[in-house]
Amino acid sequence: MTEKIRFDAIVVGAGLAGSAAAMVMARAGMNVALVERGKEPGGKNYFGGAIYTHAIEEVLPDYRDRRPPLERPVTEAGFWFLGKDGLTKMTVQGGPLNREPADAYTALRAHFDPWWAKQAQDVGAFLIPKTTVVDFIRAADGQVIGVVTDRPQGEIYAPVVIISEGVNNLLTQKLGLIDHDLEPAHVALAFKQVIALPMEEINNRFGLPDDGHGLAVSVLGDLSLGLPGMGFVYTNKKSLSVGMGVMLDVLAEYRLKPYELLQRYLQHPAIAPLVKDGQLLEYGAHLIPEGGYRDMPKLYTGGAMVVGDAAAMVNALHWEGTNMAIIAGKLAAETAIEAHNVGDFSERAMARYEEKLWDTFILQDLKQYRNFSRFLEKHPQFMDVYPNFVNDALGTFFTSYGKPKKELFRELKGALTSRRPLLKAVGDMISMARAVMGW
Amino acid sequence: MAMKRGDAFVGKELPEEVKKTIPRVYVDDLLISLKYYVDEEQSHLWIKEPETCNRCQYKPCLSFCPVGVYTLDNEGKIQVAYQACVECGSCRVACPYNNIGWKLPRGGFGVAYKFG
Repeated sequence: MTEKIRFDAIVVGAGLAGSAAAMVMARAGMNVALVERGKEPGGKNYFGGAIYTHAIEEVLPDYRDRRPPLERPVTEAGFWFLGKDGLTKMTVQGGPLNREPADAYTALRAHFDPWWAKQAQDVGAFLIPKTTVVDFIRAADGQVIGVVTDRPQGEIYAPVVIISEGVNNLLTQKLGLIDHDLEPAHVALAFKQVIALPMEEINNRFGLPDDGHGLAVSVLGDLSLGLPGMGFVYTNKKSLSVGMGVMLDVLAEYRLKPYELLQRYLQHPAIAPLVKDGQLLEYGAHLIPEGGYRDMPKLYTGGAMVVGDAAAMVNALHWEGTNMAIIAGKLAAETAIEAHNVGDFSERAMARYEEKLWDTFILQDLKQYRNFSRFLEKHPQFMDVYPNFVNDALGTFFTSYGKPKKELFRELKGALTSRRPLLKAVGDMISMARAVMGW
Repeated sequence: MAMKRGDAFVGKELPEEVKKTIPRVYVDDLLISLKYYVDEEQSHLWIKEPETCNRCQYKPCLSFCPVGVYTLDNEGKIQVAYQACVECGSCRVACPYNNIGWKLPRGGFGVAYKFG
């Protein structure tokens, strides 16, 4: 009989949450297996996107000396409102965005994630790539005591497993931590193109002085055809990440092809000049769990904890998720270390993980925003009516010279009320505030 | 609000003037940018009951799959080009009849993003 493969802890998936967890546990002296199904970490991961330094720093205080493969600091951020052929920009720069290091950096996951996993390996975590975890090993009382992989004799034993499997949380479902699969109305399908452009060209087109400055914007309006969806533009050093997310039920019901919507967005008169002559480096797609607090699984059971996208830790309005993943990974790891030190991996011991999450912005924010994904579903005018109104209103405001101002304001009011009665518009703003403030 | 399932699934239509603003795109022109390690031995995607697809009036999988894995052949049967799959999971959860079998590719196989 061959000897069982044993570790102190197993982490399923070397993404942002998983490698953070592995790093923290390995640094505390635990013997950690970091199991990754891709050929290398990052190969399966696709995001907007930006990575937050406050989260990286919590796990790896000297990260800056380790030369993280980040793209540009986000020095300008905000919203762009696309009209039919116009664009209104509402972005902010300077102030808190001017700090060094910046709070957020644009990044490419196939570059960042291998580096992130390497930081875990450097403190002793054992990376097992090209290996898909397909099931758990459980004791008679249900306690998780290991995982089954798709390798021959692929059982790996450990008293604690951190599940960072990503949005397709099949293992989380298998453990019975959530009783339903992802609901198409509560997941967005995000799809983007990474488009190569010379650095100088990016600086010129986006008004950035150099590659020490970068832009991250959410784009609302014409691109989503009046349906619940949002676009984004991130500037990397020598490429742009341009994409959009649309709720999956909408794509299915209207039978829309994601790549055609993306092409329409890229051809928009205000967007086309920004991507002109760019070379397609990569197209891809990924689901975002936007159900938030209401769609979260139970976060732990005896011998296991769930982190990151698998636990629906995404704040859709703020495009946050990568930061929550990293910090949740760290908190799960700390819980595992405490359990390891006292030799208690029971469900009660794992419950500490959720307590720790409540002490951070993660569960506090997710609870506050619990109604937000439903809000956009019920108020599509925020994707359509208002972005168009903003363009028309500002356009009118700045071109109507020579007309009496009374007439100008009448036109402005007309531009809104022809689309949405005033009382309803006021109601929309109140609902929006409620969804964001969690009232 | 959950998406309606099975025979209750209802396709919706955009206004014609909106629909005609959507350009035609051949997804193959995008797929050439992707790197894959194709598992030649087994598919990780499959149609559970081909008969069920005949009953499916709207066949949304032909559209929402971001890499066009699902196509109709000359006989109206759904073909599954699993080699192009980026493992997003959309088909697993959005097939109105829950008729698409889905598992992760074997370790090391499938899409391998170069940029992400």
